Amino acid sequence: MQVRRLRLPLALLATAVVVTPIAWLWWDSRLPDSYDITQMGYADYGGGPEAGHEHHAGHPGTPVAELVERSRRPADVTETLTAARDGDRITINGTSPGPTLRVTQGDLVEVTLRNEDITDGTTIHWHGIDVPNAMDGVAGVTQDAVEPGKTFTYRFRADQVGTYWYHAHQVSHEQVRQGMLGALVIEPRRPDKGVRDEVAVLHRYGSTPTLNGAEGTQTVDAQPGDEVRVRVVNTDNALMPIWVTGAPYRVLAVDGTDVHEPGEVRDVAVKLTAGARVDLGVVVPEGGARVDFGATTALVLGEDPTGGAEPKAPRTFVDFLGYGTPTDPGIDASSPDRRFDYRIGRRPGFLDGKPGMWWTINGHLFPDIPMYMVEEGDVAVFHIENNSGESHPMHLHGHHALVLSRDGKEATGSPWWIDSLEVAAGEEFEIAFVADNPGIWMDHCHNLPHAAEGLVAHLMYAGVTSSYDIGDAPGNHPE
Amino acid sequence: MRATYRVLAYLIAFEVVVQASVMVWGIAGMGIWVDDGGVVDKQTFEDAFDNGTKPFDEFTGLMIHGQNGMMIIPLLALALVIVSFFARIPRGVAFAFGVLGLVVLQVMLGIFGHEVSALGALHGVNAFVLFGTAVMAGRRASSVAKPADEEPVSVSA
Repeated sequence: MQVRRLRLPLALLATAVVVTPIAWLWWDSRLPDSYDITQMGYADYGGGPEAGHEHHAGHPGTPVAELVERSRRPADVTETLTAARDGDRITINGTSPGPTLRVTQGDLVEVTLRNEDITDGTTIHWHGIDVPNAMDGVAGVTQDAVEPGKTFTYRFRADQVGTYWYHAHQVSHEQVRQGMLGALVIEPRRPDKGVRDEVAVLHRYGSTPTLNGAEGTQTVDAQPGDEVRVRVVNTDNALMPIWVTGAPYRVLAVDGTDVHEPGEVRDVAVKLTAGARVDLGVVVPEGGARVDFGATTALVLGEDPTGGAEPKAPRTFVDFLGYGTPTDPGIDASSPDRRFDYRIGRRPGFLDGKPGMWWTINGHLFPDIPMYMVEEGDVAVFHIENNSGESHPMHLHGHHALVLSRDGKEATGSPWWIDSLEVAAGEEFEIAFVADNPGIWMDHCHNLPHAAEGLVAHLMYAGVTSSYDIGDAPGNHPE
Repeated sequence: MRATYRVLAYLIAFEVVVQASVMVWGIAGMGIWVDDGGVVDKQTFEDAFDNGTKPFDEFTGLMIHGQNGMMIIPLLALALVIVSFFARIPRGVAFAFGVLGLVVLQVMLGIFGHEVSALGALHGVNAFVLFGTAVMAGRRASSVAKPADEEPVSVSA
């Protein structure tokens, strides 16, 4: 009888033991209405000194808002981009994709973003261009979202030749999908004469895949012998295979950086990471050539070598770890100042009070994740490891990183510089970069819904302080 | 409580059947879609799971499988554990924890089956183990639900 009397209290106790931790995790996961990203998570110094990260009275550091282009000279290129709602799309100057901006290396570029009627507010992030921090366009980190009727002017020097793109970084997982994006090409001062230059912006509207905003196959009026540079931009959230039929080709550039001595390849595909770009070089043969983007859209150069038949996708891929030939990458990563881990996992838990299977960084759920701390001039190595069961296209803002190795195998080809890197499930990479652009920089998954699910960390420079807040109250939602 | 335990256990077993059914429905639909010349790629999946843009109707089956498997079934298993504390079923607590453990294993096998396909094969096998365990748990709740309810059976706690 004693035991019977104890049964109910014991059952209640057991229930409390199961339920209390869950309730506490739920309570603890809720995000405040307004928060400063630098006050979340924990500092990870990567084995380097902590000095310079302490902000003593009288040394308040440089606010993000002051990290702008220093030159006061008039801009070489001035543009206004007006973002407007059009049904379930967002257009820029009336179209989506927005206009392709073509500028010349060294130009001082001034772009004014005007938000006509995007109720959530919007921003422009210059994907792949290492602009000054306050020009990076991340709502709540480098600026406030631009409200309807308001403007914001971005100023930066276009120093890096190559193919880039721009897109919203406010509620980006919705706004980019809805078409708030466009291409940006920085041409060299002395362009290759006689090379045709084509931009191929890939984007899916609803379930419709498009190339430069149109469905299906498009034709470039090219003649046999013509040299064509096809600048492919993957603005979607998933990896896209790209291949050429009818001709061999070279991968001239990856993420805007030229490949050193790219070799000719044939009947292999390139896997284009979400957010990444490749420039393909094709010499049009008799009978034409055709570039396929998945099995969804295609660009025909001259005649269609397939005669319009279903394109056959190669089953082998260019491996950038060994593509091109080596040369001095200009960075010595043999004894880095800091070494960071960016281990991606997945586990059940609560994200802002919502239960689910969420992404983790080094075992922690957002926002209890590392803030990677660097000092200007540091050489930093990131060890990225993906044990989450799904691939992640990782994107570091404000810097280009050199791929050192994949799964312990060292890079043997041309220096492989990236700003967007596909990290497949079960893979690990080592990448290195020079901390040469002070600020607070996002380092996140460019499968943008994943970023909204917490797969977003930040890189933070010593001596920099934040200027903006994220959350419902300030109306800034960068993911 | 005993009835609740029984209903939850059988509900979990039924959910396993639903999972198998919607998965095959979805894959059959994908086969028909591809057979008709349709394209399925990574972006197709991302769009469907992110914002419900489906290339073909049966894709709903794959989405239900994910939602059911990662949210509803784990919650049912957790509820079964809590109910087991009150239900006074011989080894009812052990069975409830067994079901919960198998559910956790099943979710893990499902997720890591995307990385190592052999784990996906085990996911299929473990479904039967989970189904069997849930049915056995339900039967335990049925077999002791007799007039002996008032008797202090099993005071081994």
